[in-house]
Amino acid sequence: MLADIINPYFLQILSFILINILLAISVYVPLSSGQLSLGSAGFMGVGAYTSALLTIHFDIPLIIGILAGACVAGILGIIVGIPSLRLSGVYLAIATLGLGEVIRVIFVNWESLTKGSIGLTGIPQMGREILNFAKGFGFDPAMIGLKSNQFVYLVIVLILLLLVIATIWFVVRQQNSRVGRSLSSIQMDEKAAESMGINITYYKVLSFTQGAFLAGLAGALFAHVMGYISPSDFSYHRAVEILIFTVFGGSEVILGAVFGATFLTLVPEVLRFISDYRYIIYGIVLIILMAVRPQGIFDIHLLNRLKGLKRSKGGVR
Amino acid sequence: MLLEQLVNGITLGSIYAIVALGFTLVFGVLGIINMAHGEIFMVGAFVGVMTTSVLGWPLWLAFIASIVVTGILGYLLERITLRPLRGKKGVSHLAPLISTIGVSILLENLSHHIFGAGNQPFRSSFAEISIEIGSITIYLVQIVIFAISILLMIGLTIWLSKTKAGKALRATAENLETASILGVDTKKIITLTVIIASAMGGIAGILVGMAFNSVSPQMGLSMGLKGLAIIILGGMGNVKGAMAGGLILGLSETFLVAFGDSGYRDAIAFIMIIFILLLRPQGIFGSKIAEGR
Repeated sequence: MLADIINPYFLQILSFILINILLAISVYVPLSSGQLSLGSAGFMGVGAYTSALLTIHFDIPLIIGILAGACVAGILGIIVGIPSLRLSGVYLAIATLGLGEVIRVIFVNWESLTKGSIGLTGIPQMGREILNFAKGFGFDPAMIGLKSNQFVYLVIVLILLLLVIATIWFVVRQQNSRVGRSLSSIQMDEKAAESMGINITYYKVLSFTQGAFLAGLAGALFAHVMGYISPSDFSYHRAVEILIFTVFGGSEVILGAVFGATFLTLVPEVLRFISDYRYIIYGIVLIILMAVRPQGIFDIHLLNRLKGLKRSKGGVR
Repeated sequence: MLLEQLVNGITLGSIYAIVALGFTLVFGVLGIINMAHGEIFMVGAFVGVMTTSVLGWPLWLAFIASIVVTGILGYLLERITLRPLRGKKGVSHLAPLISTIGVSILLENLSHHIFGAGNQPFRSSFAEISIEIGSITIYLVQIVIFAISILLMIGLTIWLSKTKAGKALRATAENLETASILGVDTKKIITLTVIIASAMGGIAGILVGMAFNSVSPQMGLSMGLKGLAIIILGGMGNVKGAMAGGLILGLSETFLVAFGDSGYRDAIAFIMIIFILLLRPQGIFGSKIAEGR
């Protein structure tokens, strides 16, 4: 039954997919107000290191560590976001790229705190902590017919799934609100939006900070799922990879980010032989995509058509 | 010691400046940041290594080979990734940036597969020749690098201001549509610009191989990012700014390594970017940024 279906390997891939979805959304949100951030890997690193260091050295509960990681990344987002708003598209991209690299160099060099390029080990693993916690109440995974490690991975996936659903729900709700409409009007035409009385500085910082917060959250979760982090996890390549998730899936709709992250995490796992050529393929995909379909696989037209398809299948017409 | 570091800094700075010139040319004409420029530079360096060490060609031939290969790469870059995006409706201004990022990771990983991840030594007896003036040693390579970069600078300035093609290029940079109405073949000019910029990247690649005696697939990334830092420092699309910015970065990096913490060497460029963008977004030599770029 349940125990036979649940394979830790699949669960682990699933948890990577879920973290990557969070990361893809962290690029999608600033992009929905026309800001391209290449600093997501840096913010992710800040979240991961903050949470890992807090939980290792001060023994504080995981949930507070993770929240603290996300908040520190978010605050950094505000600090960087406010001055960078004077910069338009391309300049912002470069400034955030620079920020990400500075953060990585600091991780490598601040050896007394971050252990340099070796990285941090022995980060409390989320699933195990919960297992120990539950055991304190006399709970044993065998009671629901699971082995310990199955339980550990299952719990991680469930928590991540909850967080991802909550995030998507939040972003979708926001999009259909006053805030979301402001963001998309800023993306369309900043000047027109400003003349309509939209406070563009506020909304741009808002979306940029949300992106930073989400990246920090994903980073903190990443640290507590892996149990090990090093500066190379948060390099420029990671930032590009996250960008590709969003751009490939479709940067105009949130489904695009979700699809891109899922698809591009699964493919190298399913097709093992591709995994070596992963970045080569990423490069080609980006080039072709920009030339043929710059808005990504999913866009609003495609979604509408899919909806129409469903309706006609349902026999409404 | 101080003088020697000064010479080292100027050498490094001249190479940075040549890389930055490539960025500046493309940005000036197309308003695009060519994220693949660093990787084209890296390919240039590898062509240098392969022709001199493996095939045993003389150095001047290696230079020509590298210029030709990077020039072709530049042509392909413009033909395949930039031209399809130009003038297309509904393409965001970020599309070329993303598509050149695609080219950059493609080139980096291709050369990673072909040449391996490690450093390739650049064997050239030329790099050993040195002159001693008083207590300091200057390598001939350093003088050559400085001379080449100055020549390229002067050549580029004269070409831009005096020749017909240069004038057409500046007209295109000013306003693409108006230039094409006035009879400039803008397609040709843009292609030419990208080719020249890439070839300069190739020259810088060989020079780096000669000066530092090692070439690796990862060098494109850091050099590309530094080139970006320099054009932001010097002012986007500004030839003088690229040269000055290159020298400033080269000198400050060399002095940090000599007298400070070498681990933070790579961070200087980016800290510089962030401060410049915050304090004076148009760069040291830049005029007010044109709207809509």
